[in-house]
Amino acid sequence: MRQVLLAVAFAVVSSPACAASVDAGRYQSVLGDCEGCHGKNLAGGVELMTPFGKLVAPNITSDKQTGIGNYTAENFRRAMKDGVGPGGKRLYPAMPYPAYAKMSDADIADLWAYFKTVKPVRHAVDVNQLRFPFNLRFMMRGWNMLFFRPALYAADKAKSAAWNRGAYIATGPAHCGTCHTPKGFFGADKGLALSGASLQGWFAPDLTGDPTTGLGGWSAAEVAEYLKTGRNAHSIASGPMGEVIEHSTSRMNGADLRSLAVYLKDLPASPGNGGGASGVEAQMKSGAGIYRMNCAACHSLDGRGDNILFPPLAGNALVRQTSAETLARVVLAGSKAVATRETPTGPGMPSFAWKLNDAQVANLLTYIRNHWGNRAPAVSADAVKKIRTSLRSASH
Amino acid sequence: MSEQRALSRRRLLASVAALPILAATADGRSISGHLPWSPFAGEPPKPVSPLGWYFFNPGEVAAIEAIVNRLIPADELSPGGKDCGCAVYIDRQLAGPFGQGARLYNKPPFSPGLPTQGYQGDLSPAGRYRLGLRALNDYTHTSYKRGFAQLTPAQQDTVLAGMDGGTVALTLKPGFSTKEFFEMVLQNTMEGFFADPLYGGNRNMASWKMIGFPGARYDYRDHIDKHNVRYPRPPVSIYSAEG
Repeated sequence: MRQVLLAVAFAVVSSPACAASVDAGRYQSVLGDCEGCHGKNLAGGVELMTPFGKLVAPNITSDKQTGIGNYTAENFRRAMKDGVGPGGKRLYPAMPYPAYAKMSDADIADLWAYFKTVKPVRHAVDVNQLRFPFNLRFMMRGWNMLFFRPALYAADKAKSAAWNRGAYIATGPAHCGTCHTPKGFFGADKGLALSGASLQGWFAPDLTGDPTTGLGGWSAAEVAEYLKTGRNAHSIASGPMGEVIEHSTSRMNGADLRSLAVYLKDLPASPGNGGGASGVEAQMKSGAGIYRMNCAACHSLDGRGDNILFPPLAGNALVRQTSAETLARVVLAGSKAVATRETPTGPGMPSFAWKLNDAQVANLLTYIRNHWGNRAPAVSADAVKKIRTSLRSASH
Repeated sequence: MSEQRALSRRRLLASVAALPILAATADGRSISGHLPWSPFAGEPPKPVSPLGWYFFNPGEVAAIEAIVNRLIPADELSPGGKDCGCAVYIDRQLAGPFGQGARLYNKPPFSPGLPTQGYQGDLSPAGRYRLGLRALNDYTHTSYKRGFAQLTPAQQDTVLAGMDGGTVALTLKPGFSTKEFFEMVLQNTMEGFFADPLYGGNRNMASWKMIGFPGARYDYRDHIDKHNVRYPRPPVSIYSAEG
């Protein structure tokens, strides 16, 4: 009892005046998925493979030598929203400042209040391992001039409060578009927002309302369930989205998840995937045999899977993405679903790289993308070969 | 004597002292949050190459191929044991951990065991084959003036039946009877005939076709309620990509 009293007294005495904003800031760091790149203890070290070379997420603990312990509140605000560090150092937009620019100054201030309480960790990180000339930071000044349009989130008065909250989170702190929006030649957003994009050997799927490739077939409740638990009747998250769910969305509150779902469900449909494969009878026949031999035991012959452990392939928008990159990756290397508090099992998909050659994987994927009512472009053995090669070189 | 006792006490104390260390290292890894996982994980079995011999010498090859061809003769049911790769299967097994008795404790003292306990001596399975095939050849040279492989099928059957029935006694070792040798070869031949083709035997899944076994399939849900209907699909091996 005395210990409890002491602890309470200590807490009261030691709490800064703005205790509420530390908690609010901690929640902002959940919304922003800071841990996703900067690591569980925020001391950095997570490697991001960009088309321009490797970036390593820096240490953002309060350590003065290797972290951001010397930042002022204004230094922090400018880094978050302008992409400019102390002394005018240009950040790379792998740090999603183009999205964070939408955040309110109050949310940024809360986040800074929280970061000041983060335990300092001495860990020097060699951040910039990009290839020449991308390793020259001053070049980002030009990139910003061309592509960076900083603007606070502007509420759409015609939409509901939930929609606006969802839009704020999705386009601001949660920076969904960093992965899900297609990128142009210079790595800037290009094309329809959240309509799906390839990065780091995965295809971040279409989140628009398209019924074939997007979230058209998911209810808002199912979107929220997926973000909270890592799975729903349609899908089980693994890979980078599994990490996002683990570090960020599973820890968001219910109202924010529902708001995100309202916003995502309202996105206008993308043009879809360009339609099904044709003239691929041989691929389909071979794919059916490969599916029966290797996949049917879990995903079942009728493609309906088992919604506790094995996602259905029939009617699954992930299977029908424009790019089959994720599918090829999961078949070749296997995959491990995220484990959350609600769904702690984290089922795994085994690797088939030892057994299936490139043509067989291509036939299998063409089959699952065009059977049980699915329609999506065929997959070529060449495409699978490229994916196998890059996965192999990344895992050694 | 007291010197010896002191030594053994010291050794005992040392071993007791070592126990906690051993126990600590043997303690399981504790895993929290996620089960460990890595891409491309798995230990797929390595299919044997059908070419060449890894354990048997040419004389032994002739003998073992003749034996498996009499144990599983070519007939209307299936090709013979040789064509099914049974000798290759046994060769690869004897060249590997099975042949070395890698999972058996084979240090003395040796005591006679019960029949159900199998061979109890110091010879590895590979050693028993080497000894057994040499003794078989010695026997046929003595009785028929030629090696086992050169006998007629009828003579081979007589010798094998004698080994099984106790009328043929090869010169082996105490604790390793002719019948035990026969049963070992029969057992391994059956394994080669029925095991997955990736191990070198059961070529073209001949035995599975013979008995109607569909092989390494693991989903029969589309067929499970079709009673008294033969499963329509051909057998598949672990390495079959399509089925």
